[in-house]
Amino acid sequence: MPINPAAWKVGLDHYLYLSSLLFVFGMLGVLMRRNVIVILMCIELMLNAVNISFIAFSRYAENVNGQVMVFFVMTIAAAEAAVGLALAVTVFKKFREVNIRFFEHLKG
Amino acid sequence: MLSSQDFLFYFLGALSLIFGLGVVLYRNPIYSALCLVITMISVAGIFATLDAWFIAGVQLIVYAGAVTVLFVMVLMLFDLKHEMKTFSKGVIGNGVKLASSGVLLGMFSTYIWATYATEPTFKPMAAGATSSIKATKDLATSLFTSYLFAFEVIGLLLLVIAVGAVTLSRITGGTHHHAD
Repeated sequence: MPINPAAWKVGLDHYLYLSSLLFVFGMLGVLMRRNVIVILMCIELMLNAVNISFIAFSRYAENVNGQVMVFFVMTIAAAEAAVGLALAVTVFKKFREVNIRFFEHLKG
Repeated sequence: MLSSQDFLFYFLGALSLIFGLGVVLYRNPIYSALCLVITMISVAGIFATLDAWFIAGVQLIVYAGAVTVLFVMVLMLFDLKHEMKTFSKGVIGNGVKLASSGVLLGMFSTYIWATYATEPTFKPMAAGATSSIKATKDLATSLFTSYLFAFEVIGLLLLVIAVGAVTLSRITGGTHHHAD
């Protein structure tokens, strides 16, 4: 793609590229890290990436429905972080480590 | 020539990408958490460049404030000195993971390039709609009329989550009897 000045003008596609890059970074973290807390952080990263594209589309379509969705996603993300960290604390109490491989022993 | 809006987007986008990579790559989880804070703050700035002022504020309060404080406090609870080697092992497995992430990124960017590259930039907001008070008022009206049921269900969910998190962290054993 030739670099022309018009391509540097920020539009919807730039926000979508940013969103997909952040999403892939978060996905790489979820796949490649072993620490449960870092995996939860990477899930937050992925949710943030999706939020960027929601807001960009909301601005593009000029209505607020996308912003309402982001509001809900944020609430769910906070709830998910709370439950995930509670699970991590439970696993840490039992195994003194928060590696993801201990999560197969959650039954008791 | 870049306008100030464009410059702000590129600056905040680069910041969020660099520190987002930091979340993934730092071996020490506390550094990952601090990188996450900076990523959240720059994402809030990106929301502000899209005229979503209320969402930007909520992002700062809920993510950069509450959620990352939760992460850091849980990290302080643990002693993670032996957690330094925290990447998964195996060349083939990691290669497959990297390749699949690359394929996903390629799919996303090809789709965006094919669908939205010719789209014009954002239309300027209609006169009177640029004020943050008007935008927040519209959001609140939508939230409390069209999405009222979902809003109430989310409130109920938060209550359940609060009780559930406390219950989970108070569990000492499992449901099955163990010899230890």
